Amino acid sequence: MSSRDHTSHRDDVGAYLLGALTDLERQAFERHLAGCPECRDEVERLRPAAAALPRSVEQVKPPPGLKASLMEVVEREARERSGTPAPRRWRRSLPRLAFPRPLLVGVALALGLLVGIVVADEDPRTEVASVDERRVPGASARLQIEDDGENGAILRLQGMRQLELGRVYQAWVERDGEIVPAPTFEVGRDGRGAVAIPDDLSDADAVMVTRERRGGARAPSERPLLVVRL
Amino acid sequence: MVVATDIRNLADEEVMQLVGEGDPRAFELLYDRHGGAAFSLAYRMVGNRVTAEDITQEGFLSIWRSRLRYDASRGSVRTWVLGIVHNRAVDTLRRGAVHERRRETMEGVEESHEAPERTDVEAIRREEARSVRSALDALPDDQRRTIELAYFGGFSHSQIAELLDEPIGTVKGRMRLGLDKLRRQLSEGFAAGGFA
Repeated sequence: MSSRDHTSHRDDVGAYLLGALTDLERQAFERHLAGCPECRDEVERLRPAAAALPRSVEQVKPPPGLKASLMEVVEREARERSGTPAPRRWRRSLPRLAFPRPLLVGVALALGLLVGIVVADEDPRTEVASVDERRVPGASARLQIEDDGENGAILRLQGMRQLELGRVYQAWVERDGEIVPAPTFEVGRDGRGAVAIPDDLSDADAVMVTRERRGGARAPSERPLLVVRL
Repeated sequence: MVVATDIRNLADEEVMQLVGEGDPRAFELLYDRHGGAAFSLAYRMVGNRVTAEDITQEGFLSIWRSRLRYDASRGSVRTWVLGIVHNRAVDTLRRGAVHERRRETMEGVEESHEAPERTDVEAIRREEARSVRSALDALPDDQRRTIELAYFGGFSHSQIAELLDEPIGTVKGRMRLGLDKLRRQLSEGFAAGGFA
């Protein structure tokens, strides 16, 4: 390393630690660091100051849905790696939301136009979704219901489109004219996905899926893409 | 291999070892410990919750998917996680994606609220934040502004030079001098290594 090289890089230490170098400049600086103990020492001397900067930030609470959607992806990928089926999820309490009657009527009318069939199997029961083929052409979904629905169900989908960044699918449970939110989920590149519905479905009327913002919504923002009537 | 009856008793470094082995529960614990700080940093940088959520999620998924290796010689796990999220936020800012999102949604500031102080750890972190802010405020204005534009604004040194109408060498010098002063201020207030 020449002293000229060192002189030209010495002032890069601060910019390097603050992330203010371009990619090319950073790579050049790191090559220089490898052969310059003086600059390495300077980087290590100033690193604690740069590391303190994020700790000056006012703490804001992340939305609870962020962890939920993150863990859905992580758990699904862990299962795929190990080749084990989805575990049954604990039931969780979800806020019950009033859903406007006129909108429910609209949803019901819209669903009347959907193409779908329902089949029933013995233990566990499987219901096939009615799919809005105009909006999700080629998609299909089956709801596998455990123990008469008391312990929830697993909705498996295929032929779904991967959504853009920041958007997720969300399941919903309809019961006595109310629609309550169920977990959000994503589908893989092969268009397949699955989501565990932790609610007691024994007295539910339907399970639905919509597209929502990452983190989930408290009420559906669109007509369902698919509906499983129970 | 890490063996423990209660994963929550593990140190961050041991948790990282389990994350590297593909353990979702260890990953969840990593998020529980550092997700709030990561989201807060992303939110401070990009100014809206939707983009901050995306950045935090992408940062944590990159740790999970690529089994990124934690290098203890570069500081604590918290510093490492925040560094990953910071890099993602800088990429987002430089792509200009945030400005697009800001046009789409004006939410953010009005939704912001401080996380409640539930534990002693959070209270200590809040105090730590106040101290670092005080140390930053004590810097000469030109140094503080340069550091904030670089670190939180995601601007490169040449962009800052243009914004402030100053030579690049001056901007780089302010960054180095500012960090040096900040280090000295912090070392007066905290035990050595407290921020590493």
